[in-house]
Amino acid sequence: MGRDFASTLDIEASLSRAIEHITDYVDAEGGALFMLDDAGETLRCHASVGATEITGMTLNSGQGIVGRCVQSNASEIIRDVTKDPDFHGGVDEKTGYTTRSILCAPMSVKDECLGAIELINKRGGDGLFEDSDLHLLQAMSASAGMAILNARMAEALVEQERLARELELAAEIQRSLLPDQSDKDFPIVGINHPARTVSGDFYDFFPLDDGRICFNLGDVSGKGMNAALLMAKTASLYRCLGKTIRKPGRLMARVNAEICETATRGMFVTLAGGIYDPATGVVRLSNAGHEPPLFHQPDGQFKAFPAEAPPVGITPILADGDEFPESEVQLDGGTLYIFTDGVTEGYLEDGRELEVEGFKASIRDNASLDARGRLEVVIDLIKRGDTALRDDLTLLAIDDAAGLAMRQSDRGMAAVSSEADGGDDDEDLLLTLNVPSRADRLKLIRNAVSETALFCGCQKDMARDIVIAVDEACQNIIRHAYGGSPNGEIELKICRGDGELIILLRDFAETIDISKVKPRDLDDIKPGGLGTHFIREVMDDVEFLTPPLDGGNLLRMMKRL
Amino acid sequence: MNHEVKEQGGAVIVALEGDVDLQSSPDARKVLLECVGKRMPVLVDLSKVGYIDSSGVASLVESLQSARKSGSTLILVLVSEGARRVLELARLDKVFTICDTIEDGLAEVQ
Repeated sequence: MGRDFASTLDIEASLSRAIEHITDYVDAEGGALFMLDDAGETLRCHASVGATEITGMTLNSGQGIVGRCVQSNASEIIRDVTKDPDFHGGVDEKTGYTTRSILCAPMSVKDECLGAIELINKRGGDGLFEDSDLHLLQAMSASAGMAILNARMAEALVEQERLARELELAAEIQRSLLPDQSDKDFPIVGINHPARTVSGDFYDFFPLDDGRICFNLGDVSGKGMNAALLMAKTASLYRCLGKTIRKPGRLMARVNAEICETATRGMFVTLAGGIYDPATGVVRLSNAGHEPPLFHQPDGQFKAFPAEAPPVGITPILADGDEFPESEVQLDGGTLYIFTDGVTEGYLEDGRELEVEGFKASIRDNASLDARGRLEVVIDLIKRGDTALRDDLTLLAIDDAAGLAMRQSDRGMAAVSSEADGGDDDEDLLLTLNVPSRADRLKLIRNAVSETALFCGCQKDMARDIVIAVDEACQNIIRHAYGGSPNGEIELKICRGDGELIILLRDFAETIDISKVKPRDLDDIKPGGLGTHFIREVMDDVEFLTPPLDGGNLLRMMKRL
Repeated sequence: MNHEVKEQGGAVIVALEGDVDLQSSPDARKVLLECVGKRMPVLVDLSKVGYIDSSGVASLVESLQSARKSGSTLILVLVSEGARRVLELARLDKVFTICDTIEDGLAEVQ
């Protein structure tokens, strides 16, 4: 019987077989197995055999001979039921069967009674049970009780195992949300070390098509599955929206609006995110209630960037209107660190917390390691002292050392090659023109462009269209890039390629946010956007090329001839 | 850019001449709004406008809106090829009433 319970996890089937065996062995006409429900209030017949089919019947836990047996946790023999006041005659009335003698023994393990087994009428003879029958039933009831308990525990274990497996699967999905770090030369590295299987922390980074890199690191309030789910949602939102919204403060506001709309009450995310430009070393950062990121300056000093806005998911209404505040930092070869409070509040070997000072000291002491190495040292410090981690450990480092080296060598290269650079090899240079950023010089540009287009064999209409596009593009430079200042310079270059005219416009102003340059909805006609609309209408291809290394903007427009 | 304003047949006729671009559009805007301020229908003669850019077009739109707000009207007459192309690009050729002669224009605003 024990083997039966162990080999099958279907407890009900095993109970049926057990009551058959026992009834048979004691040579009774019928048998029934009752179990107490979880509350201990009801006895339910889980299996019956022989004389009467009463499977499914329920009794109050004190009712009848079974009830008495369970309550007292003692076995009973009633040789003659007619002499027992507790005998529940209702069953006989329904089944038409005559009960003469009953054996009943509790199924108990230690002091816990799980139920009882009741046998009815001895086969043959006078149909009455003997004391020896009771001893037999007692022994078998006890072992049935043990087997049921074992089976229940096995079932709980299986369920636990299943949950653990599901958690492991969830953790695997979570890990897949973290960015790929196979490129060892990538300037951003991150580490996430969950305290439990799944994590409420996350970090991410991905390159944008203009060469800049979008990054973030966040910490969801709470731990466990609910935190992990909100983490997955926030990380996905940020990654998706981050590909089109190139302003960290605006991106943060969009993520916040989404999370506020649907997040569970009381849950929030502290989040720091931004954009790093390896070509300039500039980081634009927005901090929503997160632990202040630390900038390790090239001179060895640390600078913190405390949050100027509440965590994401707290309120859709922002103090500064539509955007979260942003700060800008020129890394200039230094490293920006972002981390969760699991790191600064992690225990060291001596029982103290690491704290921000400990973090700074570790970074300073390990300056010779690469960024990943420096983060791993911090993780090791905490894992050594805090073996059962209190909180997830997550760190991100944006290391500008390689970016700085590249910028320095490029500057040298640019000085050498700028003279030779006359556009692509198979392009025929027609004109270069350097003009001050003044509105009264636009006419000169228009005339030069018009003559150049006609020179290339353009029809009058097409030449006029090209003039409109170039004029509007120059206006944008004067008004937006130089902010109306007449002291800037515009460089115009026109080349003839294979069946196309290529116009390059270069300025030396601050690099502009390309995502903002878009044709305005024509229903809302104001100057400004209209010019950009003209350019797109007229030209076959318009794109901002990667900004030149010494700054500014480079617009390339192409018209098919 | 030069301009000439005259009153004729109960309307103001303003002729712009030359290039209406980033340099001159603030002047054009001022002249156009002054004409609209006379509370008479305004005919803008664009026959001598060789080039007009987005800022010039914006001045025309602003003047049209201002005229409509005061219950008056502003139409374009004798639109040069160059100006017409820019209006087409801005999809404004259907927003403005455009007449081919001054006479048609005056008849239109009566």
